[in-house]
Amino acid sequence: MKPIIEVENLTKKYNGGVTAVKEISFQVEQGEIFGFLGPNGAGKSTTIMMLNTLLSPTSGRARVAGFDVVEKPDQVRMSLGYISQDLAIDDILTGRENLYLQAGFYHLSRKKASERSKELLDLVALTERADDQVETYSGGMRKRLDIAAGLIHRPKVLFLDEPTLGLDIQTRHQIWDYINYLRKEMNMTFFLTTHYMDEADALCNRIAIIDKGIIKVIDSPASLKNQVRGEVVCIQFSETSEDKIADALPIISSLSIVENVKQRDSGCMAVVRDGDTAIPEIFRVIHSKGLKINSVTLKKPSLDEVYMAFTGKTLGNERESNGNTHRTVRT
Amino acid sequence: MEIRTAPFAHDAKENESTMKLTLPSDIYYVCWRDMKRFLSQKSRILMTLVQPLIWLVLMGNMMSGMTNNPYGARMLGVKNYIDFMTPGIMIMTALFSGTFCGFSLVWDRRFGFLNKMLAAPISRMAIPVGKMTATSLQITLQVIIIGIIALVMGVTFSSGVFGFLLIAIIAGIFSFAMAGVSLSIAVFFKTLEGLHPILNFLTMPLMFMSNAIFPKAAMPNWMKIISDWNPLTYAITPMRTLVVEGWVLEKIIPGLVITIGFAFVMVLISTWQFNRSIA
Repeated sequence: MKPIIEVENLTKKYNGGVTAVKEISFQVEQGEIFGFLGPNGAGKSTTIMMLNTLLSPTSGRARVAGFDVVEKPDQVRMSLGYISQDLAIDDILTGRENLYLQAGFYHLSRKKASERSKELLDLVALTERADDQVETYSGGMRKRLDIAAGLIHRPKVLFLDEPTLGLDIQTRHQIWDYINYLRKEMNMTFFLTTHYMDEADALCNRIAIIDKGIIKVIDSPASLKNQVRGEVVCIQFSETSEDKIADALPIISSLSIVENVKQRDSGCMAVVRDGDTAIPEIFRVIHSKGLKINSVTLKKPSLDEVYMAFTGKTLGNERESNGNTHRTVRT
Repeated sequence: MEIRTAPFAHDAKENESTMKLTLPSDIYYVCWRDMKRFLSQKSRILMTLVQPLIWLVLMGNMMSGMTNNPYGARMLGVKNYIDFMTPGIMIMTALFSGTFCGFSLVWDRRFGFLNKMLAAPISRMAIPVGKMTATSLQITLQVIIIGIIALVMGVTFSSGVFGFLLIAIIAGIFSFAMAGVSLSIAVFFKTLEGLHPILNFLTMPLMFMSNAIFPKAAMPNWMKIISDWNPLTYAITPMRTLVVEGWVLEKIIPGLVITIGFAFVMVLISTWQFNRSIA
C-alpha cells in the first residue's frame, strides 16, 4: 500500500529570504499517528500549511492521499481535515450550525450533514449543548466542537496543530481517546504537532524532530529513547559562580563513565553509562572544585532528553516561550 | 481493515462527482454564515432601524427650511426636503455598511476562520463574493425598512411599489460593489485598527463629493467634475428619480447600467486581490 503522505525535498523560502523548511523528506503510512516535534519557528506550521495547500512550496513535492498538493489542491483538501491551534469556530453560531457550515464547505448533502452532525455531536458529547451559541461554551467544549467539525467529511488524514494546548488534563485525555478511537475504528491517519512530550510518547507511532527547518530524526518513541544510551544525572548547584561551573564541566566530561555533559542554568546534565557508580565520581570532582550541590536526580531517558539531544533546547524554556506566543496570529 | 476502508473509498468517489460546479453552493454557505451572524446580533439590527430614523427626522426637519425658499426648492427639484433626503439616507446606509464588509475578512483572518475555509475545497472566489452577497442582502433589507419609515413620514414614491423595490435593489447592487472595494483593500490588513482609518478616509469624500445630500446645482464646478466620476452619483440618480419623478427611463437606465458594471468589475478585482493575498 502506498504511503498516505509522501514528502520529497520539500522546501519553503519566504519572501524575506528566510528558509523555514529545508529539503525535508518523509512518509506517513495509512493508520499511523505521526508526531511532528520541534521548537517554535522550527518549521512545523510551515510544513503543515504546505501539506494543507495553504502555502505553496518553493520546491520539492508533497502528496496527500496520492494527490499532489500543488497540482490537485481540491482533491487534497477533500482528503484531509485541518484542526488548527486557533480554535477556528464561529462563536456567534451554535454548535450545530458550525457543523452544518463545515459540511457545506465540503459539499455534503443536507441529509448527510445532519446525520453526521448528530453522530459527531454524540462522539464529542455535545448533543445537549448543540443548539447553544458557541460563545457560551468552555474552552474544552470549543476544542471538541472544532475536532467534530474537522471530521465531518470523514477525512483520510487529520492534521492537528497542538491539539491539547491550554486544555485541562481531563480534556486532554478525552482528546487522546478520540484520536485512538478514530485510528482504530476508521483507520484514520493523524499528523500532529505538540509541545508535550508525554503526549507524543503516549499517542504517536512515529515521531519526527525538526529544528531550523531540517528533520533531525524520525523514529518510534521507543527506539528514540534507546538512542539516548544510559541514564541522565541532573545536578543543581547551590551557587551560581559561572567560573567554577565552567572549570568543573570539562573534568566531569573527562571521566570515563560519563558520555557527555551539558550545562543547564546553574546546574548540569550528564549522560552516564551507569548512574549508581557515576554519581560518587561526579560528586568527588564537584567537591574538589569547591562547588556545593543543592540537589541531584537520576533519570531514565524520556523523550525530553531525546528532544534536547536533537534540538539543544530544554523543554522548560520552550514551553515558557510557547505560552507567550501561541496566541499570536499566523497569516 | 478492508471492510473499514471501503466506505471511505465510496465517499471519495462521491466527493469527486460533486466537485464540479460548486461555486454557487460555496457562495451560498459563505453568505449564509454572514447572514446568520448579522441576524443574531441584536444590536446591529436595532441600529439599522434607529439610525435612518434619526437621520430622516433630524435632517428632514432641520433642512425643511430650504424648500420653503422657492429658489432652494427649484435647486433640489422637490417640494419637501425629505423627498430629496430619503434616497440620500438610503445610499448613505449602503455606502457605510458596504464599506464595513472588509472588517469581517480581517476578523476571519485573525481568529483563524479564513484558514479553515481555505483548507476546505471551496472555490476561492466564493469567499469574497459570498461576503459581498451577504452585505448586499443586508442592505436591501435595511433600505426597504428605511423606505417604510419614509412612507410613514409622508414621503411619496412616484414610481409605486415596483419603483420602491427597484430602489432597494439598486442600493443592494451598489453596496455589493462597495463591499468589493472594501475587501480589495482589507486583504492587505492584519488588524482592524489598521483598516479602519483607510475605510473612513474612503467613505467621507465619496459621500460628500456626490449629489447624495447636496444638489448638484449647488456645487462649485470642481466638485461637479469629481461628482461626475463618483460611482455613488450613478447609483443615487436612478433612486432619486424613482422617488421624485417616477419612471423617467432616460434618467434611470444609464445609472443602473453603470452601477451593475461597477458591481461586476468589483467581483473581478476583489477576487483577484483576494487570490493574490493568499498565494
